[in-house]
Amino acid sequence: MTASSTTQPQALLDELRTVGSGLPGLSSDVPPSQTWADRRLHYRMVGPLNRRKFTVVVVGTGLAGAGAAAALGELGYNVESFTFHDAPRRAHSVAAQGGINAARARTVDNDSIARFVKDTVKGGDFRGREADAWRLAEESIRVIDHMNAIGAPFAREYGGGLATRSFGGVQVSRTYYTRGQTGQQLQVAAAQALLRQVSTGQVNLHTRTEMLDLIVVEGRAQGIVVRDLVTGKISAVTGDAVVLATGGYGNVYYRSTLAKNSNVTAAFRAHRRGALFANPCFIQFHPTALPVSSEWQSKTTLMSESLRNDGRIWVPVKAGDGRPPNEIPEDERDYYLERRYPAFGNLTPRDVASRAARTEIDAGRGVGPLKNSVYLDFRDAIERLGRRVIAERYGNLFEMYSDATGEDPYEEPMRIAPGAHFAMGGLWSDYDMMTSIPGLFVGGEAGWGYHGANRLGANSLLSACVDGWFTLPYSVPNYLAPLLGRPKLSPDDDVVRAAVAEAEAGVQALVAIGGTQGPERFHRRLGDLLYEKCGVTRTAEGLAEGLRGIRELRREFWIDLRVQGRPDGFNQELERAGRVADYLDMAELMCLDALDRDESAGAHFREEHQTEGGEAQRDDEHWLFASAWERADSGEAGETGPRYIRHQEPLEFPSVPPETRDYR
Amino acid sequence: MTATIQRKQRTSAPPRTRLPVSNFAAKTTMAVTGLIFVGFVFVHMYGNLHIFRGQEEFDHYAHWLREILMPLMPYAGVLWVLRVVLLISLVLHVGCGLLLWTRARRARGPFKRTGLRRGDALMARSMLGTGLVILLFVIFHILDLTLGVQPAASGAFESGSAYANLVASFQRPVVALFYMLTMLVLTVHVAHGTWTAANDLGATGRRLRQLAAWVAGLVAIAICLGNISIPVLVLLGVIQ
Amino acid sequence: MKLTLKVWRQESGAEEGHFEEYLLEEVGPEFSLLEALDKLNDDLVARGEEPIAFDSDCREGICGACGVTVDGTPHGPQKNTPSCRQHLRSFEDGATVQLEPFRSGAFPVVKDLAVNRSALDRVIGAGGFVSTSVGTAPDADAIPVTHEAAEWALDLAACIGCGACVAACPNGSAQLFAGSKTMHLATLPSSSKERGRRAKGITRAAEEEFGPCSVYGECAEVCPAGIPLTAIAGLNKEKLRQVLRNKDD
Repeated sequence: MTASSTTQPQALLDELRTVGSGLPGLSSDVPPSQTWADRRLHYRMVGPLNRRKFTVVVVGTGLAGAGAAAALGELGYNVESFTFHDAPRRAHSVAAQGGINAARARTVDNDSIARFVKDTVKGGDFRGREADAWRLAEESIRVIDHMNAIGAPFAREYGGGLATRSFGGVQVSRTYYTRGQTGQQLQVAAAQALLRQVSTGQVNLHTRTEMLDLIVVEGRAQGIVVRDLVTGKISAVTGDAVVLATGGYGNVYYRSTLAKNSNVTAAFRAHRRGALFANPCFIQFHPTALPVSSEWQSKTTLMSESLRNDGRIWVPVKAGDGRPPNEIPEDERDYYLERRYPAFGNLTPRDVASRAARTEIDAGRGVGPLKNSVYLDFRDAIERLGRRVIAERYGNLFEMYSDATGEDPYEEPMRIAPGAHFAMGGLWSDYDMMTSIPGLFVGGEAGWGYHGANRLGANSLLSACVDGWFTLPYSVPNYLAPLLGRPKLSPDDDVVRAAVAEAEAGVQALVAIGGTQGPERFHRRLGDLLYEKCGVTRTAEGLAEGLRGIRELRREFWIDLRVQGRPDGFNQELERAGRVADYLDMAELMCLDALDRDESAGAHFREEHQTEGGEAQRDDEHWLFASAWERADSGEAGETGPRYIRHQEPLEFPSVPPETRDYR
Repeated sequence: MTATIQRKQRTSAPPRTRLPVSNFAAKTTMAVTGLIFVGFVFVHMYGNLHIFRGQEEFDHYAHWLREILMPLMPYAGVLWVLRVVLLISLVLHVGCGLLLWTRARRARGPFKRTGLRRGDALMARSMLGTGLVILLFVIFHILDLTLGVQPAASGAFESGSAYANLVASFQRPVVALFYMLTMLVLTVHVAHGTWTAANDLGATGRRLRQLAAWVAGLVAIAICLGNISIPVLVLLGVIQ
Repeated sequence: MKLTLKVWRQESGAEEGHFEEYLLEEVGPEFSLLEALDKLNDDLVARGEEPIAFDSDCREGICGACGVTVDGTPHGPQKNTPSCRQHLRSFEDGATVQLEPFRSGAFPVVKDLAVNRSALDRVIGAGGFVSTSVGTAPDADAIPVTHEAAEWALDLAACIGCGACVAACPNGSAQLFAGSKTMHLATLPSSSKERGRRAKGITRAAEEEFGPCSVYGECAEVCPAGIPLTAIAGLNKEKLRQVLRNKDD
C-alpha cells in the first residue's frame, strides 16, 4: 500500500514509523553544571607524538568545521578538510549578522553562567539537553577571548573594553558583536586559522569538493566519498574519525535566510548510513526576514534580529488597510508584540515573534503588496536617538534593505516576515558530539543538542564556535585513543571501492532519469508545500497532506528530473539534483516528526496544542524527550518511501525546572 | 580541487625565472627615484624663472650652477654629481617601470580592462606613455640646450649663452609646441607619480594622504605653469 | 522588461570561450542580476540547453562567492555592490548586457562565469592569520582596544574576499585585498605581534600570484565592502617597516 491512499494522519503515522527503544540519555551522576569538567577529566587522551598517526576527516569549513580542523591540526592530528565552496571563508557562518552570546557577565546586569543556561534551556522550550547548555555557557567565555585573539575586531566601548548588546529572549546584555557582520568576522578569523594550519601542512584542504557518502566499516565511520566539483571525479578519503560540520537544512524550504548552496546532503547521507536524526521538525522561522515579493526572489534575506532593539513592530488595526504606513495614525496601529508581551515587547524570542506575525498576517492585517508582511518601524528610534546613531547601529542593514526592496527604511518602515532560518534539529549525538555511528562526530548547526525547540538569537555562532574550538578537540581524541596502533582503512579496501561505485551509480541514476524538469523546479514546489504544511504553525491534517504531497513530488522527481550537462565536469545542475533528492527525503522526515510530536514546543507549533492565550502548549508528561529517527529501510526511491523507527532520548532538567514559557 | 595552498597553480612566472627584484623593491625604487625627479624638475622650473629677470641674471644663474660649493668642489662638480644621480635614477626608474609593466601585463591576463571609472586610473594607465614622451623630450632637451647638437639645437647655439640659446630654441614654434605638450604630459606624470609614491612609501594616515594628494596636484601644476610660461612669452615676443 | 544577455560560455579552463546571446523576457527591475540568471537558467534547462555556470551563495553580499563582470565592470554598474545585489533597475528595458567572468591572469576560468580564486587564499595562508593556538588567548577585556582602532580594523576587515579588486585592476593586482588583511591585523594589539613576519609573507605571496599596484584606484570603486584605498598604502607601509626593522613583530 502506498502512503497516498491513507487518509487519517494517525494511520499514516503508524504506517510510516514504528516506535523504537529509548536511548540511554546522559547517564551521569554529576550535576549538569559539572558534567563538562567531569567528562574532560575522564576523557582518554592521545600523546603528542602519537597524534600524527591519526587522520581526522572534517567536512565543512564554517565556524564549527574550520574551528575543529584548525584546533585538531594545532594539536598535531592530520586533518583532511572539505568544503564545496571555492574558499573556506564562504561557509554560511559568514552571514550571521547580530552577534555571539557569552556568559562573561562583566557588567552588573545580573548575568551569570547559570542565567545563560536558564535562558537557553527555557528559550529552547525544554527540548534540548541541559548539560550541553552548561558547556555552551562555560566555554562561551573562552570563545570570545580566542576569536578576539585570532583577529575578530569586536566592537569596543570608548574605554577599550568589549561592547555588548541585548538580543531577543533575554533580559541581559551578553551579545558581543562586530557591527552587523559578526558572523563574517568570526568566520574569516576561523578560516584564517584554518589556512594557517594548511600552510604548515597539518591540514589538507579540499575546496570545491562535496561529500556524497559516509564510509562505515566494522561499525565505525572511517572515511567519506567525495565528488570533485570541478572535474566530477568521485573518490574516497579515509580517516580514523569523521566530523560533519555541514550546517543546517533550512533550505529545504527553498526560500530561506540561508545561502543558496547550504544543504543537508552530507548529514542526510550519514543518516542513510545509520546515523540517527534528532528532532527534524524543530526549525526556526526568523521573524525579521524579507518578505517574498516576487516569484523569482531567490531567498528571504535575513535582517538581523538586533533591529528589534530599536525598531517597533506593528500592523494596521484594520484588516486590509491599504494606506501607506506613514499615513496611518498612531491610534490605528497595533504594536502587537508590545501589547501582548509587555515585559519583552519587541524582544520576545524568535518563535513567539514569528508566530505572532503569522497570526496577524493570517488575520488579514498583513502589509505590503502581497499582504504577507508586518512593519518594523524606526520612526520613534530616529526621533529619540537621531539618524546618525541609527545609521551607526544598523547602517549596513538599512542599506541592504533598500538595496533589495528599493525602499528607504529611514523614511518608511521596513517590511518583514517570518522566514525559514535555523535548524535546531540535526544529527543526533551524545554529549561528546558523537553520533550513533562510532567515529562520526557532528558540530555546529548540523547537530542538535543546545537549542532545544527554539534557538536564542546569537547562540548559533556560539554553539558552532564551542563545538569546533572547545568540544571536538577534547572529545575526538577520546574516541581515537583506543584505536592507536590499528591500521588506517586503505583507500583500496573493497568496502571503500564499493562505496565509491555506489556514489558513482547514484550520480548516474540522477542523470539517467532524462525527464523534463530541472531540480530547481522541484525544489521550489517542495518549499512552497513545506511552508504551507510544515511552517510556522502545523496541524495533523496539514502534515498528513504534506507527507502525501512530498511523496507525490518525490515520485515525480524520480520520473521527470532533467539533469542538463555532463556528470564528469563542473555541473551545478547535478549538484542541485543530488541535494534536492535529499531534501525530498528530509522534508518527509520533518513532516513525519512534526506529525509524530503531538505537542507544541518552541518553534514547533501544533495548532491542536495551544493555551487559551494562543501560546505553545508543551506536553512534558509524554514528550519530554528528543526524537532520534532511524531510517529502517529506504524503500524504492520512486515507489514506497522509506520507513522509520523513532527512538527517544529522555531529557532531564535538574537545574532549570520545566515551566511554561511566559514572555508577558 | 585539492589543497588550495599548493603553489602549482601559480599564474605569474615562478620566482626562478624572474629577476631577483621584488615588486616591492621595484616600486619603492621607482617611488624614491621618482621623487628625486619631482624635486629636480621643480627646482629646475624655479631656476628657469630667472629668465624673467633678464639675460644677465639668467646667464649668471647658469654659470652659478657650475660654481656651487667652489672651491670645496671643482668647477661643475656639484652639477656632475647631480647629473650622475639623475642618470642613475633614470636608469632605475625606467628599468623598474618596464619590469613592473611586463609583470602587470602578465598578471592581468589576456583581457584588457575597459571602462575605467576614475581620473586616477586614466592617469595611471598613461604612465608608460607619458614616461616615454618625457624620456624622448629629455634627450631632445639635452641635445638642444646642453650640448647644442644640430638639428636639435637652433643654428644660433653658442655654448655658455644660456639665455640666447633658450630664446632661439623657443622661437622655433615646433620646438615650443613640443615643449608645452611635454609639460602637460609631465604634469600628469608628476601628479600621479607623486601620489603613487606616497602610496608606495606607505602613507596611510588620513591627513598625510590628503596632504600628499594636494602636494602631488599642486607641484605638478606649478611645474607646468612655470615652465609653459617661458615658451609662451618667447612666442609672444615678451622675452627676446 | 526584456534584456539581451551576451554571456561568456566556456566549457572548462582547458577550452576556448565565446559569447552567446540570450533573450531574457518577463523579468522586472526588482530582479537581482543573479535572479535574472536563475530565470535564464530555468528557461535554458526547460529548452534542453545547458544552464550558465556561475558562483553565488549567500545572495546578500557577505560571502563573496559571486562575481561576474557586467559590461566590462566587475560586479556591475552599481558602485561598491556585489553581483548578487546588483539589480536590473540599473539597466534600460531592452538593453544588451554583457556578462563575463572576473578577468585576471590569477583567476583561471572554471566554467562559464565561474573562476578559480584560490590564489587569494594562498595569500592569506602566507601570513594573513594570527599564530595564537586555541585556548591560549588572554582575556579579551584585559587588553583594551580603543573604539577608534576597533572601528578602523572593522572597516578593513569588512573584505568579503570576492576578488573584484583583482578583476578591476588593469595590473591584475591584489594590493587592496592583501593590504586590507595586513592592515586589519596590524591595527589590533592581539594580532600585531607578528606584523613583520606577516608583511613579509603576504607581500611575497601576493607578488607571486598577482600583479604590482600602480594606484589606479579602480579596486576601491568596485569593492563591495568599501575597503578604502588606504589599504594599498598599508601593505607598503607594513612591508617597508619590516624591511627597515628586519624583525618578526
